[in-house]
Amino acid sequence: MNAHTSRRALATTAAAAAAVLALSACSAGSSSGGSDAPSDAVVIGLTGEPVNLDFTTTSGAAIPQVVMNNVYEGLVTIDQEGELQPQLAESWAVSEDGTVYDFALHDGVTFSDGEDFTAADAVFSIERVQSDAWLNGTKSKMDVVESVEAVSDTELRVTLSRPSNAWLFDMGTYVGAMFSETGVDDLATKPIGTGPYTVESFVSGDRITLAGRDDYWGEEPDITDVTLRYFADAVASTNALRSGDVDMVYNMQAPDLMGQFESDEAFQVIEGTSNGEILLSMNNTVAPFDDVRVRQAVMYAIDRRAVIDAAWAGYGTEIGAMVAPTDPYYEDLTDLYPYDPEKARELLAEAGAENISITFDVPTRPYATAVSEIVVSQLAEVGIDASIQSSEFPAVWLDKVFTQADYQMSVILAVEARDVLATFNNPDYYIGYDNSKIADQVIAADSGTPEEYVSGMKEVVRTITEDAASDVLFLFPNLVVAKAELGGIAANAVTESLVLSGLTWTD
Amino acid sequence: MATSLDTTESVGMPVPAPSIPGRSRRRSRPGTQLVVGAVLIALVALVALVSLVWTPYDPVATVASDRLQFPSAAHWFGTDRFGRDVFSAVMVGSQITLIVGFIAVGIAVIVGVPLGILAGMRPGRLGDVIMRGNDILLAFPGLLLAIVFGAVFGAGTVTAMVALGIGSIPAFARVARSGTLQVMKTDYVFAARAANRSEFRIALRHVLPNISGMIVVQCSVNFGIAVLAEAGLSFLGLGTMPPTPSWGRMLQESQQFLGSHDYLAIAPGIAIAVAVLGFNLLGDGLRDRFDPKMRSSR
Repeated sequence: MNAHTSRRALATTAAAAAAVLALSACSAGSSSGGSDAPSDAVVIGLTGEPVNLDFTTTSGAAIPQVVMNNVYEGLVTIDQEGELQPQLAESWAVSEDGTVYDFALHDGVTFSDGEDFTAADAVFSIERVQSDAWLNGTKSKMDVVESVEAVSDTELRVTLSRPSNAWLFDMGTYVGAMFSETGVDDLATKPIGTGPYTVESFVSGDRITLAGRDDYWGEEPDITDVTLRYFADAVASTNALRSGDVDMVYNMQAPDLMGQFESDEAFQVIEGTSNGEILLSMNNTVAPFDDVRVRQAVMYAIDRRAVIDAAWAGYGTEIGAMVAPTDPYYEDLTDLYPYDPEKARELLAEAGAENISITFDVPTRPYATAVSEIVVSQLAEVGIDASIQSSEFPAVWLDKVFTQADYQMSVILAVEARDVLATFNNPDYYIGYDNSKIADQVIAADSGTPEEYVSGMKEVVRTITEDAASDVLFLFPNLVVAKAELGGIAANAVTESLVLSGLTWTD
Repeated sequence: MATSLDTTESVGMPVPAPSIPGRSRRRSRPGTQLVVGAVLIALVALVALVSLVWTPYDPVATVASDRLQFPSAAHWFGTDRFGRDVFSAVMVGSQITLIVGFIAVGIAVIVGVPLGILAGMRPGRLGDVIMRGNDILLAFPGLLLAIVFGAVFGAGTVTAMVALGIGSIPAFARVARSGTLQVMKTDYVFAARAANRSEFRIALRHVLPNISGMIVVQCSVNFGIAVLAEAGLSFLGLGTMPPTPSWGRMLQESQQFLGSHDYLAIAPGIAIAVAVLGFNLLGDGLRDRFDPKMRSSR
């Protein structure tokens, strides 16, 4: 009996000690295992796994990250500089009044199921976005399309109901993905597109493997065997890089480890541009955030520079609104709400919302937990008692916060390109911003000349920010750490897509 | 197996001489385990009490300019990524640790002990039903139960405490039942029954006082388990919600700093080790004093 219990005592104590030791051992890591891997294979470490592979019905940027430009292609694409480039369309012409687009499509393009890609598929794909088959909220980007017709197998004519500055750019994102008429039966697990890769396997909770296509219409990629490994934990992904299990960690989520990689010659560290905004979302339709003064108080209460420094090791840019500096209508609005806790308290007093308590739904993502602690501390300074409720991401968070909008405050990384309108110009979106002030302005700007578009959108963004619809904390850096020999890394996150086809091993 | 057990016993624990003087000397002097365990627990309890009224810094106040400072005279255990004082956080973390331990063990005692006594006093069908139900619960890993509870009812300290408490019920029910079975065979229980005392009165007057020693020992052991489980759950993000300091979450948050700021993991790690070791040693020490079987065997 005695021996038994002292052994148990020893075992439990040892377990506690071992936990500490094991953790410290992880950090020591092992040397990178050289690159004796085959030169046509690469393993990429990611955090944040897709629920399935069907972005037409399921939200979450992890899906287009894998499949766009790799499995699916669009008529056009957005290159690493953020410029529009032809993809499945060789060229296009726009009518005088800006409403009719004539696309000339590449000949000899096939889907991975062997079917030819023709203008009929493009008609099918665009009309499908407008149909009930698409559930994802981004489908509104296709609302402006009035009709689409296949003039011949390689000629496509799209007629818009009004001129639109945004539409063609949006066609370079996943709403513009081209599907095969016969290949949409099982989008969740078997995506069929015209891209250079096909999905070989999808092991939920672990990895997705992609294989290069022999019959790809364009230039075949150097790397034909791509494994995307999903880590629940950011530190685990960088440990895997150190131990040689992965070759690159994309969108690295442990910024405090960057310094160690920077000083190690075996690795390269890239800080790519990004469209990702860390959005402190406030539910505009429920108390206390249905009062603009309370939302403005939050804006004044948060020291965004301190958030970046403390939560993300100083990596990140203050932008002041939900527009990335790489977008044409970017305007520096950071001085609209300087850090001013005194002003925040005044606004709260005015709104009769002193010493309020709120619930803060925090998705289980590294940036979210890191940001939430400092946000809570800063809100406490002005008398807002935010209690953190952890929401498992993606399933629970997407359901509770995003779909049902059953929340008061949350924080999320919004990575979609030019997503300010998708986020705020839709009162049914989970933010619930009353868009009556901006709706007409948005249409006017989109239909106007490029100059009118830029100035009009700047107005819209300023209005949204003045209404403190939600607080954009900072622009999220796209940190990439990779083995030094890996070349062709598309480190600029211009859309959600992680473009794999350029990857190559150098000597 | 038996031989290896014997070896462990003779190596790990000096077997007291079976002579009468040896036995009385042992009983008059508390064992080393008891003393060390009690001191460690007293230390944790003292820190928790002090932290109620005083900590060097506000443990949840973030000071961006004081980020990731190494241990110094100003910050004994350094500061974390948010510029919070680690020493203050470790101090306040002891509160959560003790509260979780108390509530979890409390739930297990309040439910488990009466069930065990009932099963022991009614060894027929009722006892069987209780103990088989108990076995089913015992087969379910406590930590897994806590994770399931966290997923269903939302993660948090309360969920963790209740789940860990429910998970510990079988241990108490078993101990209480086996103790009760022994007590029920004693002459004074036969006498009480002959005197037509009610069953409830027998349970209260005879059974409970006689098994209380074993229960206290079990409490101490389970307290240690609860402390470790709370740390594990918080490490997984299913225990105490930030920013309330919790040792397990401090360990979790220290992960990406292990290479550069290892003190962030060492401080809460030592705190967890001290608390768990303390409760286990205390449990062993108490067993030496209380367990009737141990007493009779010596």
